[in-house]
Amino acid sequence: MAAARSAGRARDIRLAYLLLAPTLLLFGVVIAYPVGWEVWTSLTDLSPLKDGSAEFVGLSNYRRLLVDAEFWRATLVTVVYAVVTSAGKLALGLGFALLLARPFRGRALVFLAIFLPWAYPAGVSVIGWYWTLNPPTITAYAPFMGHLKFYVDSALGGGAWAFTSVMLFNVWRGSSFIAVLLLAGINSIPPELFECALLESKSPWRRFRLVTVPLLKPFLALGVFLSITSAFADLSNVWMLTAGRIVFPLVGTHAYWLAVKVGQYGPASALALTMGPFLLVVLLVLFRLFDRAERSAA
Amino acid sequence: MVIERRWKKWVFFYIPLTVFVVGTLFPFYWMTVTAIRPDAELYRSWRAVNNAPFWTLHPTFEHFRDLLAKTTFPRWLLNTFYIAVASTAISLLCGLLAGYALARLRFPMAGALGTSIFVTYLVPPTLLFIPLADIIRDFQLGNTPWALILTYPTFLIPFCTWLLMGYFKTIPKELEECARIDGATRVGAMTRIIFPIAVPGILSAGIFAFTLSWNEFIYALIFLSSPERKTVPVGVVSELIRGDIYFWGQLMAGALLGSIPVALVYSFFVEYYVTGLTGSVKG
Repeated sequence: MAAARSAGRARDIRLAYLLLAPTLLLFGVVIAYPVGWEVWTSLTDLSPLKDGSAEFVGLSNYRRLLVDAEFWRATLVTVVYAVVTSAGKLALGLGFALLLARPFRGRALVFLAIFLPWAYPAGVSVIGWYWTLNPPTITAYAPFMGHLKFYVDSALGGGAWAFTSVMLFNVWRGSSFIAVLLLAGINSIPPELFECALLESKSPWRRFRLVTVPLLKPFLALGVFLSITSAFADLSNVWMLTAGRIVFPLVGTHAYWLAVKVGQYGPASALALTMGPFLLVVLLVLFRLFDRAERSAA
Repeated sequence: MVIERRWKKWVFFYIPLTVFVVGTLFPFYWMTVTAIRPDAELYRSWRAVNNAPFWTLHPTFEHFRDLLAKTTFPRWLLNTFYIAVASTAISLLCGLLAGYALARLRFPMAGALGTSIFVTYLVPPTLLFIPLADIIRDFQLGNTPWALILTYPTFLIPFCTWLLMGYFKTIPKELEECARIDGATRVGAMTRIIFPIAVPGILSAGIFAFTLSWNEFIYALIFLSSPERKTVPVGVVSELIRGDIYFWGQLMAGALLGSIPVALVYSFFVEYYVTGLTGSVKG
């Protein structure tokens, strides 16, 4: 009996590795190698502009980052960007989800409309936004948008309008995804709980705060996490909406600029890698919140 | 009482709903108007006589015709479709198998392997294209769809695996045990009992992967070079913006036509999508 069980267990282990093999094989080639390259490059002075082989420079790229004002500025801008857009996406997404939670006539159509921004290829919808918010001078409504840009820029400093348009685009697109995620969350809550809550309290705000939000926590945590990771890695949207004239660099765009325009692969890799630990901390904090919610519910 | 309720319904439901939907759809409306506006009207002063800023008096399909005749747009659609379907299929297959193994089987290093698959989600993709370009050159895949079909799974598999793992965990173990007692092998129980039950989760992951690969921009921009090999997002941007000149009408026409497949996928499967997400995140 015991022998049969251990044979079964050995079979299970073999099966598990077999099932994981395709994923691990693909990852070994297209993830492990590039990440390894990035880690190694961050320790060298590799540059496509330099002749000869790259020299090992130890941690000096990282040390240089720590005293680089541009790095801290990019980090600050990224944090502001991530916090503001995540808050906006959550607020709007939650609003959408609550409105769509109950059935009404035409719900399917409204649902599709709200989901469209996320489903739409960002590469082209971003051009639509560029056209709407930063029209070229000869366009019909360009003077109007020009005035708006002027007011925002003179109130908040040059480049502020472009940065605002990046945030608007991001919130527009992201809130659509968060809405669907949270709607899935609301669907997962048994309706009896809402009925109970209705008997317990007359205030919709109390019901929302004490029943809906705690039960949605895992979905909220996932939404915030995805929103923050995408903010840190954002590159093409910022590039397109500012036509490459980036006044407020994010960590991602700054690293890209260093690598592609300046040709400093080493510092650029070091910069890109600093995002990893930061995101890991965010993930751990979010999981803690999520865990506590689970335990108190149990 | 009834009057008060109706008033409340307007303030808390109809008005916000309308504002939200109008806000969400305005950019699409603006793209549509731009796409059917004749060039003469597109580039005219705001104060011109008979100017209609929010609609057009002379709708035209000239931009759509130009798009289809002067660029290889139909080709881009086909390329994108092929690449999106292939990379979604690969990612779903890998995600299904890996998700099942991580959710149901006990084996040494399960925790470590599972974590490492998800940690890849934290690796910022910003600079990975530099070493990836080397690999693609070494395998001589540059300027072929395979360059994208094999690189897209890097960001699709972690999410698919995670979503499906969550979904598998919501399926009661007893179902599988019953099948095994009735003589099914583990693989048989997996393919004939568990996978069919997981269809909403599979569809959900598939839709997610399909959208992400349809929308991907950076890798497609870097790994494909000849115009007839491009995908829709890259083709529209790189062929219709020449230097500082934007062909706005055609750009918007391309943007509208290029997203029809994704819109179709969503309109058919949207309910599954939500059910799948519900099961996965909760589990």
